[in-house]
Amino acid sequence: MNENESTLKLTNVTKRYDEFTAVNNLSLRVRPGRIFGLIGPNGAGKTTTIRMIVNITAPDEGAIELFGQQMTPELQDRIGYLPEERGLYKKMKVADQLRFFAELKNFKGERVNDAINYWLDRMGLMEWKFKKSSELSKGMQQKVQFIAAVLHNPDLMILDEPSSGLDPVAQELLRDVVLELKAKGKTIIFSTHQMEMAERLCDDICMINRSQKVLDGSLREVKHSFGRNAVALRIEGGSDGVLEDRSLVAKVERNSDEIEALLTEGADAQELLKRLIASGATVNRFELVEPSLNDIFIAKVEESQ
Amino acid sequence: MTKFLAVIKREYLIRVRTKMFFVMIILGPVIIVLFTVVPALIAQIKVGTTRIAIIDQTESSSMYGRVRDSILSKVNDEGEETGESEAARAVNSNAMTRAANTERARETSFQVEPVQPGGRSLDDVSRELNERIKRDELDGYIILPPDILQDGEVKYYGRNVGDVFTRDQIKDRISRAVRDQRMENEKINPALIEKINKPVNMSAINTESGRQESGGGFFFVFIVGFLVYIMIIMYGQVILGAVVEEKETRIAEMLFSSIRSFPLMLGKLIGVSLVALTQFAIWALAFVAFALYGVGMLSERGMNISLPPIPPIFFLYFFLFFILGYFIYATVYALVGSMVTTTQEGGQVAMPVLFMLIIGFYFAFPVIRSPNSPLAFWVSMFPFFSPITMLVRIVTQTPPVWQIALSLTIGFATVVLLMWLAARIYRIGMLMYGKRATIPEVMRWIKQA
Repeated sequence: MNENESTLKLTNVTKRYDEFTAVNNLSLRVRPGRIFGLIGPNGAGKTTTIRMIVNITAPDEGAIELFGQQMTPELQDRIGYLPEERGLYKKMKVADQLRFFAELKNFKGERVNDAINYWLDRMGLMEWKFKKSSELSKGMQQKVQFIAAVLHNPDLMILDEPSSGLDPVAQELLRDVVLELKAKGKTIIFSTHQMEMAERLCDDICMINRSQKVLDGSLREVKHSFGRNAVALRIEGGSDGVLEDRSLVAKVERNSDEIEALLTEGADAQELLKRLIASGATVNRFELVEPSLNDIFIAKVEESQ
Repeated sequence: MTKFLAVIKREYLIRVRTKMFFVMIILGPVIIVLFTVVPALIAQIKVGTTRIAIIDQTESSSMYGRVRDSILSKVNDEGEETGESEAARAVNSNAMTRAANTERARETSFQVEPVQPGGRSLDDVSRELNERIKRDELDGYIILPPDILQDGEVKYYGRNVGDVFTRDQIKDRISRAVRDQRMENEKINPALIEKINKPVNMSAINTESGRQESGGGFFFVFIVGFLVYIMIIMYGQVILGAVVEEKETRIAEMLFSSIRSFPLMLGKLIGVSLVALTQFAIWALAFVAFALYGVGMLSERGMNISLPPIPPIFFLYFFLFFILGYFIYATVYALVGSMVTTTQEGGQVAMPVLFMLIIGFYFAFPVIRSPNSPLAFWVSMFPFFSPITMLVRIVTQTPPVWQIALSLTIGFATVVLLMWLAARIYRIGMLMYGKRATIPEVMRWIKQA
């Protein structure tokens, strides 16, 4: 696959609702076969962005290219979309419901039944096949909704907060399935405000805040560019105010038995270690930590304000 | 196209497969039959006796005997014996007079007693009678004034003066007694007057069918109007429920990512209309069966119901106007459904729409009486009324074809306009959660492409 090829490309996309700008001049590129995280707090513009990608609303400005083409209703059929606001017909049987959603994607014939059976089995819902969805628990309904989004074998999957409301076992199952899909060469866009989930799954990320992109790139690049400037510490004994030296430590966060010290820009971690030992403290743990997505996000947001 | 058909199929199957659908299919004709039989049965229910006291203030209480006889007599005011034929008449007459006939047919019997003032003042006597009414020994009393034969006013005091039927009956019967007394005073033989007053017999014959109208035609018109009215309400509510369900359960967003909003809305309207048409088809068969067997059975029991001859073209007109009415109202219901958050709220917002339909139904009555009046013409052109009023005109006295065609054209143009409007509101409204859309918001959505 060509490195420059992209499954989805947004160029300077803007969407306004009356006076409010929901998405402002957003450009991004999703490469084939990768898991792309669209992250940001609630109300940042994630759902609006996704609605434009799946052709529910049109952008006011800018262009959206899907599989190298302009958006058409036919291309919609190659997308699987699990919205954040999702539901099922209460009085319809699970299998009928899935067949209906498949038909809406022009996916029909014998392969529909095979796909339904495969996915119900994979998600552990086989015995619920002929039950009405109102008889299912909330978690099971979520799984059915997920199946409705993947049943027609789409090339691009868009999952908006897919794990909200799922128990840890189901979350794990979802993660496995998403990785399976990736292994089959599918592209997955993952939208979430849960940074931990994004951190575990995504290859690339795009962070948006207040309608604007604040950061994007591969997860590795993003973390690397942030450098290792935090230290996890466990010390005993006096530190003689070493941690209070603002030329060395910018911020201290005390957890139960650990301290996370954020180094001042330009300060050296080795210097901190030397000073601590010199102060007579016993250092039980001294570890340079990678910034979490959460830290990066908070830093980026603060920077942009 | 596949997607559009998938929506129609889903909407149709999910409703036809329910128990409720079968219940309605059976219940529908039952309701119609009840509409025809129940008034006849009610007609046979006897109502309790009305106890009346009479204070006769005429000279030497000369009127009491005559008034008592008149009130107690079973002869009604048209000079016919009340009997079993009344029941059949009540069935076949037009709905508006049916209630009156039914009331007249029930034998309101009276008990009459004279009041002897015995030198007491009228006030004292009244007080005593009021007491007796309070103790439920009496239902009312009548004061016959001394100048009753000239123009004196009779007063009726009673617990239930709101019962206009009893009141009118008493009034008519006292009038008859007074009339007879006046005739006697003038030396006129009442039997002669009765002979002179005898009305002519008349039968009505439809010039188109050449058949004699027995009043069954009116009954049929009423049923047709009522059926369209009730089915539009019912299926309008179904659409409202279906749209609100997709909004409430947040399915809308999943659907919109696969199919455009207009085919989705249209598919929903068509799917549900097919359910209604299925129901009609089954009822039409039931009606034919009733015409073939039921009528004969009822006439054996002494109830003559004549079903009007229905020309086949009527079924086409019925189909066209029902579809018209359905799409007008169901589109409005779909529009409302996409604006609100719950079915309940939808019911409130759709209230004015429902009123339109009710008004249309009430216009059916003046239209039945004069189907060629200017009023009948205009209400059968107005698209929110025409599905009922034009059908009623067609059944009573078929208007020129150009009028029917014009009415249909106006109607279907309205449907197109409403759908254009609804599609714009629907597209945005369905994705708005949590609060009801305001009118200014809706206006903005319409303006946006």
